[in-house]
Amino acid sequence: MSFEMWAEKYRPKQLCDMVDQKTIVERLKSFAQSKNVPHCIFAGPPGTGKTTAALCLARDLYGEDYREHLMELNASDERGINVVRETVKTFARSRSIGEIPFKILILDEADNMTSDAQQALRRTMERYTGTCRFIMCANYSGKIIEPIQSRCAPFRFSFLPREEHDTYIKHIAERENVKLLSDGLEAIFEVCGGDLRKAINTLQASASMNKPVDSLLVYSVTGKASPYDVQKMLTLAINGDFLGARKQLRDMIQKYGVAGVDIIRQIHKEIFKAEIPEPWKIKLVAITGEIDFRLVEGSDEEVQLSALLARIVEAGSEIKKGK
Amino acid sequence: MQFLYTAWTVKHKPESTVEIVGNTLAIKALRDWLQSWEKGVPKKRAAFLHGPPGVGKTVTVEALAHELQMELVEKNASDYRTEDAINRFAGLASQYGSLFGGKRIVLLDELDGLMGNADKGGVKAITNIVKTARSPIVLIANNAFNPRFRTLRSYCILIEFKKPSASTILKNLQRICEREGIQPEENVLKFIAQRAEGDVRSAVNDFQALAQGKKQLTYDDVSWLAHRDRQDSIFNVIKLIIYGRTSLGAKKALDMAAVDLDMLFEWIYENVPAHSMDALAMADVYRGRIRASQDWSFMRYVVDYMTAGVAMARQNSKVSGWVPFRFPSRIMMLSRSKAERAMRKNIGLKIRRKCHISVSRASKEVLPYLRIIFKNNTPMAAGIAKWLDLDSEMVEYIVGSKAKTGAITAFLS
Repeated sequence: MSFEMWAEKYRPKQLCDMVDQKTIVERLKSFAQSKNVPHCIFAGPPGTGKTTAALCLARDLYGEDYREHLMELNASDERGINVVRETVKTFARSRSIGEIPFKILILDEADNMTSDAQQALRRTMERYTGTCRFIMCANYSGKIIEPIQSRCAPFRFSFLPREEHDTYIKHIAERENVKLLSDGLEAIFEVCGGDLRKAINTLQASASMNKPVDSLLVYSVTGKASPYDVQKMLTLAINGDFLGARKQLRDMIQKYGVAGVDIIRQIHKEIFKAEIPEPWKIKLVAITGEIDFRLVEGSDEEVQLSALLARIVEAGSEIKKGK
Repeated sequence: MQFLYTAWTVKHKPESTVEIVGNTLAIKALRDWLQSWEKGVPKKRAAFLHGPPGVGKTVTVEALAHELQMELVEKNASDYRTEDAINRFAGLASQYGSLFGGKRIVLLDELDGLMGNADKGGVKAITNIVKTARSPIVLIANNAFNPRFRTLRSYCILIEFKKPSASTILKNLQRICEREGIQPEENVLKFIAQRAEGDVRSAVNDFQALAQGKKQLTYDDVSWLAHRDRQDSIFNVIKLIIYGRTSLGAKKALDMAAVDLDMLFEWIYENVPAHSMDALAMADVYRGRIRASQDWSFMRYVVDYMTAGVAMARQNSKVSGWVPFRFPSRIMMLSRSKAERAMRKNIGLKIRRKCHISVSRASKEVLPYLRIIFKNNTPMAAGIAKWLDLDSEMVEYIVGSKAKTGAITAFLS
């Protein structure tokens, strides 16, 4: 077993190493051969190879010293308008030395950029096309403003199909001498749903226990790895333990730094699965929507989500009355 | 409700005068006067106990009645305010002996409540009762020198209760500690006793709020008391808001709060029952709107929702027992987790450098796996720590134990 993060160790280095997203890879290869790249949008769910494809393309274009011609920015970390104005502009306008006249800027998680920043970016992209090409990676291309979309070639990445996922994970398990049982592999796919980064991390964490990787081990690892247990919180609330549910909420937000919007997304998913009276389900959706909007408006996450929990407590007491 | 407990001020109320802290002279004076009734009606038929709140006036009367085996007829003057009402009960109580033939004490507590025009005649009625009393009457007020009591005073012996010193309050807290089986750190009780400024009741209330359900009490648990003004007031304010009966009453409670509005919001949020949460959330929405629009005139809606809104959402008005209001722990968590957030961010930055992933996703999606690996596989942990260039503090944060950190760093060198 090697002692680094396997997700990085086995990240493909060149476009020809990429086993999945075949049609996309073919088009990118033709970019590399013609030594010309348009602005691109790589859209698709996490762990499907967007960043990898961008890095591979850069390596194929510039060779081993590709780092000198490349800038990687993560919009979640630097999403303000100032970053676009300063960092991006400075990088974009200076000329590249070498055979290829342009540099590449990878803007990861671009859908997390504010629309102001995107507006500012739009002019930069246009003005410095000669010296810099942008690759925007995003989960949802819809969150990227129309004018930018129209300037970019779109690429849609999809989750890995089952066979490709299995081949890839098995390959890593073999190389790392991990005993991976077939139900373990199945469990990994079930839990990670084709998100390859998550799958590899799950494999490595399971392997770190020095036991054969079976489904039980995988489930226990993923259980420990998910810092928040929305279901548990909801169960507490439905059973009338408001303070207990709130404690759970507080831990998620403060101890594990889970974002309020992520929690609300989970709650929304769970509502229809929950054992509450039917009429309450759509009522809770209405409240969830309202609370979601309040969060967007900038209200206090914990206070607003507590209010949602209080309503779930109310729904829970309705059930007891009904019985 | 699940958070109701008996108040320690009731549970650990002194049963005999020996257990009462301080004011030994006052207690002796009252005892002597009560015993003098055995030799016939004394010259002054009432004792007027006065002194600041929470120093043990009422408790003393109750303990003495118990010790001298006298029946105690107790009325709170804020409940019986008019001349008629006072005559009805006090007149009866003082004219005849007790049912069992024994002696009886008539206690009129909180005479300060008899103020204003509505209570006109109340003091006069009491004075008349005192003049003709056949049983000892004990009057209690914070300020006996209010001009209203001038005539009444002349028929009473005055007994002053003073604030006990911090060291005597300390003894009382130690007694409670023993009975509750709590082991406090050395300076904890001293700290609470000093903060009480002579008010034994609030010291006990405070102590309960901090220690209920705990076996150990550290200085950290209580040190936050130093950051606020008189604890008494904030507990009262919250009580008035959460259990308020009228909108106006709840709104007025705000004027008593010695903390700023955001802090008060946290206090209410920490202690709010589930059914009042909606109103509080609306207050928060308006706070957000103020932030967004910078229009502070919306503040009035914040205030309305967090006071009247919270009070009116209450389902039953009965408050039984004592509600241990908790200190807003979110604030403590925030300050504690500030360092934690910084640590998470720094680790996230290290991960970002290697893994092409944002800091927030690094801590959400990679860190949890690192935790598992670091806990279970020392060589792999060491390899990854080196690869990510983590320092030993980061390793310790991830693995969560000093011993494992040692093992991992030892493996590296």
